[in-house]
Amino acid sequence: MSNIPEEQGSAAFLGNVRDSLLETDKVKRRDMLGLFMPLVRDAAVDQFDQFQDLRKQVKGVKQHTLDNLHHYLSQFESEALDNGNQVHFARDSSEMNSIVLGICQSHRAQRVVKGKSMVTEETHLLHHLQRAGLSVVETDLGEYIIQQANETPSHIVGPALHKSADEIRELFLKKHDLGERELEGPTEMVAEARSVLREHFLSADVGIIGANALIAENGYSMLVTNEGNGDLCANLPKVMIVCTTLDRIVPRASDAMAALRLLVRSATGQPITCYTSFYSGPRREQDVDGPIETHFVLLDNKRSDILASDYREMLQCIRCGACLNHCPIYIGVGGHAYGSVYMGPMGSVLTPLLDSLEEAQALPDACTACGRCEEVCPSSIPLPDLLRDLRHEKNREKLTPSRWRLGMKTHAWLLARPRLYHTLSGIGIPVLAWLGRKKGSFKSLMLANGWTDQRDFPAPQGKTFMQQYAAQRKANNGSR
Amino acid sequence: MAQDSARTELMGKLQRACQNAQPARIYAELNSLGEAPSPTLPASSLCEAFLINVLKNQGTVACTSNRSEAVKAVAEHLHSRFRTRKLVAGNDPRLAAMPWRDGAVLPRFGAAEHGENASLSYACMGIAETGSIVTYTGKSNPAANNLLVEDHIVLVDTATLVATLDDAWTQINKDQQESGRPRGINFISGPSSTADIEAQLVKGAHGPRSWHVILLGEIPEDALSNARNATEA
Repeated sequence: MSNIPEEQGSAAFLGNVRDSLLETDKVKRRDMLGLFMPLVRDAAVDQFDQFQDLRKQVKGVKQHTLDNLHHYLSQFESEALDNGNQVHFARDSSEMNSIVLGICQSHRAQRVVKGKSMVTEETHLLHHLQRAGLSVVETDLGEYIIQQANETPSHIVGPALHKSADEIRELFLKKHDLGERELEGPTEMVAEARSVLREHFLSADVGIIGANALIAENGYSMLVTNEGNGDLCANLPKVMIVCTTLDRIVPRASDAMAALRLLVRSATGQPITCYTSFYSGPRREQDVDGPIETHFVLLDNKRSDILASDYREMLQCIRCGACLNHCPIYIGVGGHAYGSVYMGPMGSVLTPLLDSLEEAQALPDACTACGRCEEVCPSSIPLPDLLRDLRHEKNREKLTPSRWRLGMKTHAWLLARPRLYHTLSGIGIPVLAWLGRKKGSFKSLMLANGWTDQRDFPAPQGKTFMQQYAAQRKANNGSR
Repeated sequence: MAQDSARTELMGKLQRACQNAQPARIYAELNSLGEAPSPTLPASSLCEAFLINVLKNQGTVACTSNRSEAVKAVAEHLHSRFRTRKLVAGNDPRLAAMPWRDGAVLPRFGAAEHGENASLSYACMGIAETGSIVTYTGKSNPAANNLLVEDHIVLVDTATLVATLDDAWTQINKDQQESGRPRGINFISGPSSTADIEAQLVKGAHGPRSWHVILLGEIPEDALSNARNATEA
């Protein structure tokens, strides 16, 4: 049994950021990711003439689904039961973990294979099952790599993209019985993982997968993968468990198709993945393979609270990872710095909602307000607005330092009095410009040390914007 | 007991957060949201569009106009890849009726086992929008046949080609009215692949390393050459 990685709270974010910026090798790989992923996404989106219309239609349906989630969840439950599944509800992570463990134990299962599922990352299911003595193997290649390395995912779609091929090779040389084989290059490494994992697939008692959508009208779950590992988990073992959350519900199969078109293009720039599969339940009378027993475990973990809150739109997230790939903070510091299961812009919104704002208070600040995440979000979630709202809440709940709050209050008071503001800045800015006239910048500034600790503050160039604007207007009017 | 209470509690919370309109009103609202657009097909002929997208999905293709030719195309693939005449195929009446002797192919009917080289599936349909083939799990195509072999060979009738993912579901729903819901519905669009190591694409992750699609039926003469030109450019 492998060691359990120490849980890192997002409270450690700032410290992690400092460390991660020093890992030059990883910084380079992240920069590549930040260049490459937007390119493939844009190319795929550009080939779809009506991509914006598609986004709008899906947004409408998602909103409608959340507005009527009680209805659609009830419908999904009844269809899934009719299809022969057992449907379980879990209020929180520990409930989901014990339901899954209970199912495994009722079958005296020893070996479990797992497909990729962020929900089970959220509940730390792997470790829960391992602690109970089960052998659990992650079968998505990226997840398998980080399981072997005893790490956590650094990206919700590509969990091991922070590792170099050399690191992965070293890892396999250490963990696998390779004899004389050297594993040159990714192709050989993939082949090695394939042969090791094939044995696990063939001998597993239980398969656990996630779901990209739950279709209310027919009770099918949709699974989207390129490797086919999720399908092996869903088809070979005698018991299949789908671990997922309420917000995956869509009304119709056609809505799942529309979401699929958005998801794959936004995640990997493909028009479709190699395997898109729909599973309804246990094997039918005439079938010669497939699981004999199937379960849905539906996790709430505060999603019903989010539904009732002003952050409801966050439940429209389809976990494509586009906001991560386009975020200057995520690309700069990497996923591990966040110290949470979800990272990047979507993680910075979701983590405070799932854990607590107090624990995750550094995350809403991890934003330059550049707006790229909202621009590329297939679900058009206003991520920068939600992050701002969380910052606002942080201020209201007095989680920010009192000096900071006093500064904000003063600033707000001043901004509400434009005449006074212009007068004061009209005096202050030229003074600053005069003080910095020689060096052109300041190494430190009173009351702004937090800013100047990290970089120099450029000296203002002459007058304020409003002064220059007024002067220009006057000159223009005069020349007319 | 804890289970029931979790369900009751959760449903109660959702009910309080939702509009709780009558189902008829809910569906009226859903229908008023319109249909999602699909991407423009890369060619006006369904065959050509399908072939283009199969090639883009790293599949290999062959075009045949009758079942005898199709069997020969299967034989050719088996020979070039494995120097064998054997494959595994599901208990599909359409496959049972193929003129196997024309290509000297020796099929074994049943579920694929680990270690077998090639399987053959008769697709329920092909989707031009995505270059996908559709299979239902069951006796006629056990799921293992899609997953456990090195090469997955798929026969697709031109008559079963549909334009979009939505058209595919229209057909799936029609099929379900006749024979119920299959356990699994698989849209397959290429050989198994991964990009989890330094974002480099590698074929043959956990499932088949190669995916060969044999289109069978009336195919416009220049469809295949056009498709190759379109994907090589």
